[in-house]
Amino acid sequence: MTRQARNMIKYVIKRILLMFPILLAVLIFTWILSHQMSINPALNKIPGVVVDRARYEAELRRSGFYDPWYVQLGIYLRRFFSGDWGESFVIAENTPVIKLIAQIFPKTIELMLFSIIIVPFIAIKLGVNAAKNKDKPKDTMIRGIAILGAGLPIFYIAVMLQLFVGAELRTFTHDQFFIEVLLPNNPILNPPVPTGGSGTGFRLIDSILYNQQVYLWDTLVHLILPVFCMIFVSLSGVTRQTRSSMLGVLDQDYIRTARAKGVAEKDVISKHALRNAILPTSHLVIAGTAGALLGSLFVEVTFNYTGFGYTMLIAIQSGDYLVINGLLVFSTLVVISGTLIADVAYTIIDPRILY
Amino acid sequence: MLKFYLIPGWRDPEFEATEFEIGKIKSKRKLFRRLLTPLTIAGMVMILFITFMGMYSPWLTPFTIDNLTPPDFLPETPFLPPSAAHPLGTTEYGYDILGRIIWGARTALTAAALPVIIGTLGGLSVGTISAYFGGKIDSIIMRFCDFWFSFPTLILVIIVAPLIGNSLYNILILFGLFGIPGSARWVRALVLQVKQNVYVEAAITSGAEKFKVMFKHVLPNAMSPIIIGFFGAMAGAILGFVGIAFLGLGDESFADWGTDINFGRGHWGAYYAVFWPGLFIAITAIGFMLIGDGLRDALDPRLHI
Repeated sequence: MTRQARNMIKYVIKRILLMFPILLAVLIFTWILSHQMSINPALNKIPGVVVDRARYEAELRRSGFYDPWYVQLGIYLRRFFSGDWGESFVIAENTPVIKLIAQIFPKTIELMLFSIIIVPFIAIKLGVNAAKNKDKPKDTMIRGIAILGAGLPIFYIAVMLQLFVGAELRTFTHDQFFIEVLLPNNPILNPPVPTGGSGTGFRLIDSILYNQQVYLWDTLVHLILPVFCMIFVSLSGVTRQTRSSMLGVLDQDYIRTARAKGVAEKDVISKHALRNAILPTSHLVIAGTAGALLGSLFVEVTFNYTGFGYTMLIAIQSGDYLVINGLLVFSTLVVISGTLIADVAYTIIDPRILY
Repeated sequence: MLKFYLIPGWRDPEFEATEFEIGKIKSKRKLFRRLLTPLTIAGMVMILFITFMGMYSPWLTPFTIDNLTPPDFLPETPFLPPSAAHPLGTTEYGYDILGRIIWGARTALTAAALPVIIGTLGGLSVGTISAYFGGKIDSIIMRFCDFWFSFPTLILVIIVAPLIGNSLYNILILFGLFGIPGSARWVRALVLQVKQNVYVEAAITSGAEKFKVMFKHVLPNAMSPIIIGFFGAMAGAILGFVGIAFLGLGDESFADWGTDINFGRGHWGAYYAVFWPGLFIAITAIGFMLIGDGLRDALDPRLHI
C-alpha cells in the first residue's frame, strides 16, 4: 500500500468520525426548532370535534409533554438512533417517517437523475464551443442562454411552460394541437406494483420489473417538462465555469506549442485543452450532485410532483413536525455523505491533491 | 525636425499619432474604461430602470399601495384581460398588474440589498477574524460553517420565518443571517491567500498591531473579489426571496412579484398575470449578474467564479 493510499484512508476515517458531531448538532437543532413551532400534535391525534379531556391528558402524558426537556431530548436521540423516527400525524396519518421517506425519495431521484446525467455533457459542449468562438455570435448566444438560465427563476419557467403547453397552445391551434399526456397523470392507471408485491420505489424500475409498459411510458412522458426546467436552470453554472476555465487554458504556452507542431485543431481542443480545463468543472459538478439529489422545491411544487421538496413544503405548511425533522435530518445526511464522496472523488480525478 | 525648433507650438504628426496611441492604451487600463463594456452598460441600464420605477412609483401609477394589497378589494372581477384602465390586465382580487409591478420594484430592491449587506458585513467580520487568528477560533468557526452548510437555507428560512412573525423584514434579515456562514468561508479563503504575501509579513516584522495589519494591509487587498461577489449575491437574494413569495409565504402587505406569479399560476389562459412579473424579476436578477460579471472582468480578470 502506498503512502498516498494510506493517507487517504486515514483522511476518510477522520471525516466519517467528524460526521457524528455534526449529525448530533443537527438533531439537537431540529429538536429545538420543533419545540418552537406553534402546533399542538396531541389535539391532532384525537378524532372528533369535541375533545375528551381525559384522552387529551393521556395523550400528553404518553407523548412526554410533562417530562423535563433533557428527558425529551434523550428519548428523541435514542429513538432516532434505534431507527424510530416517529410517525406523521397530518399529511400521511400513522405512516412512519422512514417509510414516508422511502416512498418519496426515489421519485425525486428519478426526476433529478436525468438532469444530473445530461447537464454535464451539454454544458461542457456549450462551454467549449463558446470559448472556441470567443466574442463571436455563437459565444454571445451561448452566454445569453447561460445568463437566462441563471437569471430566470425556475418556477417562472415552469409556470410559463405549463401555461404554454396546457392552455395557450391549445387555444391558438383550436384544440388541434393538444398533448393530453403533458397534463396531470391519468388516474385510471394503477401503480405498477401489485398489492402484496414488493417494489423498489422507483416507478421506472418497478414498471419494467412488473412489465407495465403503459405506466412506464406515462411516467417517462410526464417527466419531460420538469426535467427540461431542471436542465435549463442547472446548465448555466457549468457552462460559465467551463467557458472561463477553457479561456484560461487556451492562452497557455502548451496550446501554442501543440498548434505549432501541427496537431489538428480538433485534437488541440479535445486532448490538450479540455483535459486541463475540465478540472474546475468536474469539481462543480461533483460538489453539486449531493445537493441536486434532494431535488428542487419549486419544480416539484409547480408540477405537483410528490417528491422530497413537495412533501417538505406540505409538512411545513401543515405543521407536521416529525416529518419536517425527519426530512431535514435525512437531507443533511445526504449532503454530508455527498461532500465526503466528492472530496474522495477529487483525489481520483486530480492526483495532485494530497491529504 | 527643424520646424519643431523654429515654429512655436508645432508638433510632429507622426510623434503625435504614437502619443495618441499610447494615451489610448493607458486610458484602457483605467478601471472605468474597462468597466464600460456593452453588457455591463446593459446591466446598469436595467438596474437604473428598476431603481427609477421604485423611486417614482407614486407618480408612475394611479394606484396606491393600499389598493394593491389584500385588505383592500377592488370591485372588479379577477384576471381581467388588458384594457385601457389596466394596461397589463388584473390579477387576483382585481389588482392592477402594472401597478403591482411598479410598487414591487421597491420590495425587490430591498430584498436584493438588505440580506446581502447583512450577509457580507457579517461574513467579512467573521471570516477575517477566523482567518487571521487561526487556531482554535478558526476551527470552531469552520466547524460551525460545516454544520450550517448541511442545511438547505431556503427551507430553514421557511421554517423559522413563521416563528418570529412572517413580515418582510424578518424574512430578509433571516436570509442575511443564514448567508453569513457561506460568505465567511469565502472571505476566509481570500484573506488566507492575501496573508501569504510578503508585505503582510513585512508589516508584522516592523511591529504593526494585529488589527492594523488585518484592516490596513490584508482586507483592502482582498476587497475586489468581495465586491464582485456582492453583486452576484444580490441576484441570488432576489431569486430566493421571490421564491419564498411564490410559495405563498411572503408578506401580503407589500406588492411583490413572486406573489403575483403564485396568484396567476393556477389560472389557465391568464398568461399576462404570470408573464410580466416574472419578466421584471428576470430583468433585476440579470442586471445585477451583468454588473457583477463586468466588475469581475474589470477588477480581477484572472478570477473565475
